[in-house]
Amino acid sequence: MARAVTQQRKAVNTAIAWIIGLLIFFPIFWTILTSFKTEAQAIADPPLWFSFDWTLDNYVTVQERSNYFRHFWNSVVISVGSTVIGLIIAIPAAWSMAFVPGKQTRNVLMWMLSTKMLPPVGVLVPIYLIFRNVGLLDTKLGLIIVLTLINLPIIVWMLYTYFREIPNDILEAARMDGAGLWDEIVYVLTPMAVPGIASTLLLNIILAWNEAFWTLNLTAANAAPLTAFIASYSSPEGLFYAKLSAASTMAIAPILIMGWFSQKQLVRGLTFGAVK
Amino acid sequence: MATQHSRAAARLMISPSVILLLGWMLIPLGMTLYFSFLRYNLLMPGNNPFVGWENYAYFLTDPAFQSAIVNTLLLVGGVLLITVVGGTFLAILLDQPMWGQGIVRILVIAPFFVMPTVSALVWKNMFMNPVNGLFAYLAKALGMQPFDFLAQAPLASIIGIVSWQWLPFATLILLTAMQSLDSEQLEAAEMDGASPLARFWYITLPHLSRAITVVILIQTIFLLSIFAEILVTTNGGPGTASTNLTYLVYAESLLRFDVGTGSAGGVVAIILANIVAIFLMRMIGKNLDA
Repeated sequence: MARAVTQQRKAVNTAIAWIIGLLIFFPIFWTILTSFKTEAQAIADPPLWFSFDWTLDNYVTVQERSNYFRHFWNSVVISVGSTVIGLIIAIPAAWSMAFVPGKQTRNVLMWMLSTKMLPPVGVLVPIYLIFRNVGLLDTKLGLIIVLTLINLPIIVWMLYTYFREIPNDILEAARMDGAGLWDEIVYVLTPMAVPGIASTLLLNIILAWNEAFWTLNLTAANAAPLTAFIASYSSPEGLFYAKLSAASTMAIAPILIMGWFSQKQLVRGLTFGAVK
Repeated sequence: MATQHSRAAARLMISPSVILLLGWMLIPLGMTLYFSFLRYNLLMPGNNPFVGWENYAYFLTDPAFQSAIVNTLLLVGGVLLITVVGGTFLAILLDQPMWGQGIVRILVIAPFFVMPTVSALVWKNMFMNPVNGLFAYLAKALGMQPFDFLAQAPLASIIGIVSWQWLPFATLILLTAMQSLDSEQLEAAEMDGASPLARFWYITLPHLSRAITVVILIQTIFLLSIFAEILVTTNGGPGTASTNLTYLVYAESLLRFDVGTGSAGGVVAIILANIVAIFLMRMIGKNLDA
């Protein structure tokens, strides 16, 4: 009897959850679907579900007309570049704070976090003017610099929360066995730190890929990553739903897949370890 | 000896991060502060005289500022209400036993990974457009007049779009918190005859309170700086109906090229964000000790 009730409840839960889940996902599904329609089919009344002539033309057109892959490449260079440079700067800092904590460690961490609270618009004017004067406007290098700096606090924090979980006893045990500092780093710490570093890398590429304040304000035709490229569709000419959908699908697909792999890290990274 | 040595090494390892962040904070902030006291317009070359508090007086008494403050509060408050209530509901739902839980979770969190410009444009064109949008078809199918969302209710529409983007974040964090809830406690309460509502109110909600606070604070930091969604949907309009503080400062600085006023607005934005930041920092700092 009790078991039947549980099964029934499970079925109800399943139904409600699936309906809500599909509704939330629907705009993404619709975008992907529309990207395979012709422009006329994209605005057909009533809307077409699956019975239309599937075509890849939009993907071809988006590439030919606006050189999509250049913007895609810009996104890759900017997000990966800023993340890797951020990691190179942050790993030593997080490392020493986790393993050689001093009196000031806590204050330094909190202060780093506080820089993340600075609203970007508060420093928009000076950054814009500095970039204009030194020729960094609309360059990939300029965006890499800015994104490295705005994500550095998150990188340090994420790494710190991972490194702190590496037990100190293991280090002591290794030392007792006569391991030198170098052995310690190569054979003990690195294998234990790699998962944390990989998670941090993943989350930060996602954040940098989707960053849409600095990328919109500091780029024009040349260094525009996908965020800014897609924004150029806001003043369309003629029929464009299918092309917008194709461009959007290509812009979100890689990050959607990476994001699904990094669900757990997302919580830790975005709450600065406050929720695990 | 060794400790002293490693302390010095530690300081050396931290310094690049600290120096870079210090520079990133102090140089632009100092410049914003300095510009905010100058009459400085990029369209009017010449010397930029010191004008004291004039820019602040101008910015703070501009009717656009008052509506921007109201819009910012409505935007942040509206999105927080929808995402926290919706996220709590979804977290409790997804924590129940069901078939295909992993897939539903993937569906629910997907919008968080969609870049802001894409989600804004997809909603604007393919859903909210009064002629070709899906909502217009739906209205016509039900025999109603299509509604021009972004012209007639621009702020509410943007709140809707942004809520769609942030609901996954709230859900994911609250779900993580739900999973650490002791189920025995709930079962015991159930056996003692506590109603589902009572169980939610006295056990689940107190357990989630900390995570909810974190969600509110972190989202507030991000929501105060909403920009791309407004830029590509309404450009802050019609009039200033959907201009928030971030967009107003952008418009002053990069559309009207008024560096002085834009900087004053930037300083105001920093002060407002800091009020939220202080609370958030306290929360995270407490956790660091634990």
